[in-house]
Amino acid sequence: MNENKKKNTLGQRRKDFNFLIPFASLRLTITLLSLSMILIFVATLEQVRIGIRGALAEYFESFYGIWYYPEKFWGSEYLQDIPLPIPGGYLLGGLLIINLTAAYIVRFQWTLKKAGIQLIHLGIILLLIGQLTTQAIQEESRMQINKGEKSNFIERFHGVELALRDVTDPAKEQVITVPQKILENGGTLTDKSLPFTIKVHHFGVNCDFDSVDPNKPKSKIVEFVNRGVGKSANLNIIEKEEDFSSDGANFGYLVLELLDQGKSLGQWLTIAHPAGNEVWTKLSPKLADLSFQSIRHKGKLWGITLRQQREYLPFAIELLDIENEYYQGTEIPFNFESDINLHLEGNQTRRALVYMNTPLRHGGLTFYQYQMNDAANYSVFQVINNPSWLVPYIACILVSIGMLWQFSFHLVKFLRKNSKSPANA
Amino acid sequence: MSVITYFKYHRAFFKFLLSSTLVLSFFSCTEEASIQSYSIPSEYDGPIVTWKLPDNWGENPDLSGPMAGSFHIKTQEGPQGRIGVMPFREQVSTVDVANMFGREMGYPTFTESTLAPFVQKKEIGNRIFEWLVLNAKKDPKLSSPRTALLALLRQEGETWLFPFIADQKLVLKESENFIQFLGSCTLRSAKNKPIIARSPSPKNRTTKPTPSTPPRDSPWIWEIPTTWKDGKTSSMRIASLKVDDQNGSELDISVTTFPGDVGGLLANVNRWIGQIDLSPVNQSSLEKYCTPFAIAGNSGHFIEAYGENDAVLAGALFLEKESWFFKLIGNRSLAEKEKDNFIMFLHSISPKSGSEKK
Repeated sequence: MNENKKKNTLGQRRKDFNFLIPFASLRLTITLLSLSMILIFVATLEQVRIGIRGALAEYFESFYGIWYYPEKFWGSEYLQDIPLPIPGGYLLGGLLIINLTAAYIVRFQWTLKKAGIQLIHLGIILLLIGQLTTQAIQEESRMQINKGEKSNFIERFHGVELALRDVTDPAKEQVITVPQKILENGGTLTDKSLPFTIKVHHFGVNCDFDSVDPNKPKSKIVEFVNRGVGKSANLNIIEKEEDFSSDGANFGYLVLELLDQGKSLGQWLTIAHPAGNEVWTKLSPKLADLSFQSIRHKGKLWGITLRQQREYLPFAIELLDIENEYYQGTEIPFNFESDINLHLEGNQTRRALVYMNTPLRHGGLTFYQYQMNDAANYSVFQVINNPSWLVPYIACILVSIGMLWQFSFHLVKFLRKNSKSPANA
Repeated sequence: MSVITYFKYHRAFFKFLLSSTLVLSFFSCTEEASIQSYSIPSEYDGPIVTWKLPDNWGENPDLSGPMAGSFHIKTQEGPQGRIGVMPFREQVSTVDVANMFGREMGYPTFTESTLAPFVQKKEIGNRIFEWLVLNAKKDPKLSSPRTALLALLRQEGETWLFPFIADQKLVLKESENFIQFLGSCTLRSAKNKPIIARSPSPKNRTTKPTPSTPPRDSPWIWEIPTTWKDGKTSSMRIASLKVDDQNGSELDISVTTFPGDVGGLLANVNRWIGQIDLSPVNQSSLEKYCTPFAIAGNSGHFIEAYGENDAVLAGALFLEKESWFFKLIGNRSLAEKEKDNFIMFLHSISPKSGSEKK
């Protein structure tokens, strides 16, 4: 027993794991935390310029970011051209995990007296790991439902897909989807369920588009488009960088050619509307067919469309009613509320109210109230798929227990000492 | 102390570290993108039509607007004639259909009585078609006058129109094939995409309309409510009207036209809402102020925006070569009162005879 205790002492552990000692440095902890503060400061400044998503991608979901001194700051005329590398979230988070773990092994005493400190650090390690896991696996989507209607699919906020739909059978349709990653690589695509070959000519994540005068020149991207809306509306496309800002709308575009046994059937232009392709119909009759450009081929009716990447769910949500309230005299939302019916397998239903900060959790997904249009009678849910959503809660509980333990321990010790002091005797 | 012993005593902690690393590594491996194929209950709400095509007919591959099918006849001189399949979700009167094509053929506007001699009933398979033949007036440049053979089928509250437009000789020659084609068709119209010639009328009409004297250079005619008066004139305006009330509030109503699309719907909506101190919108949030609206049988837009004090209501019509704007702007509460009248005014707009706009 004594032998075991001896093996468990801090001195012994430092001897066995002496290579961890430099990583356990408190100075390193302070440095990393200071750098984290700088990272948060820089990312907050950059958020104004590139939006929340841009700042997340550039500074937090990377090992380093490059920052340029803001134009509006003092001395920017000399400093704004100097690129400043900023350590990213992955680098700082990773180093903090190593630092805390090393400290756990070679710096902390594993005694009951220090159990609180250990729990606090364990909680922080778990929080960091949970955040990394979330960034790696979390998916954000949206579900839009018109009042009185049902929906059983969600669409990604970022990322599009080419969908080819065989709608000949009135009862069911066959859908073939090509994800953005494949479209980005370009080339020629075939699939055994497709009666034609797809040749990707141009793909982009964002564009400006306009219906132009037939006599005016168009960009090279669309110069050979000879079928569908691209031709009938004489659409021109100008490539644009992806807009990461919070209100940025990215219109993904694709110019594709369909070939049947090497024979070209024509070139089509298709554009994805960021708010869902149903919007095309409302925008303009000229553009309405962008939601479904029909092709009749070998006795079948096919439709092509570029849309936000879609995922079908094993359940459906019916929007029964919506209600929105604003702060008096303003357009600032006070409460958005959706009254829904969750349609489960076996004709089971579950009634629920979804409103701000009170999401619906079902099937591993969380549905938050996101947008609402009272005039057009629809509601939009932000749908989060994050299997590690419980980790931060567990981490916070561990930290709380640790703090409670540590403070209680010292408090009891103090009270005991106080009761034994001569003044109280 | 050996490492093995150390691990033995602190198994739980190292288990946690190991599992976290494994979880991270597992999820960090991104799923390889691939083409997916799946089957779902039909979501397609557009028209589905199947048919058997005569050997000498060809299919026009592009379908646009209300057309569910489009064909031509293969001749030695190349593809000739236009044959179409047009589903209407609602019942459409034969007079309306006849007038759609009659104007193109040089006929005056049909009424029920003037159209009656042209309409026959024809049984094809188990279905009864309404059958109209409209021959265009002779054109000296053409060897054979143009003919529109229109077949109308009414089933389950829907109307299906099959127009066959070609020169008279070709229509006569292909009429048997046309009948066989009609007999072979299976028809299902769009579930939720009605093709509506005009938007529904407003519920309450607050004032009795009076026919307005159409401006000389306007291709449209319209009716205006009795409360509307002549407004300030301007060289830019085709028509100018105003409404005022006892409190001194005023609304300015204008009709303007411009060549091209003058920046399109978004630019114009942003210009108008800017005039009532509202922030501009982008394409994706345009629907906040805009709804589709038929003006004079064309697809247009109705714009409705309310600022703190003022409001703007407008009808926008983008035609092939020009744009037409019918706009009301001014005091918000007066605009709210006049909204029904303004919608009624937009509904009343129709082409002046002999000046069909496309």
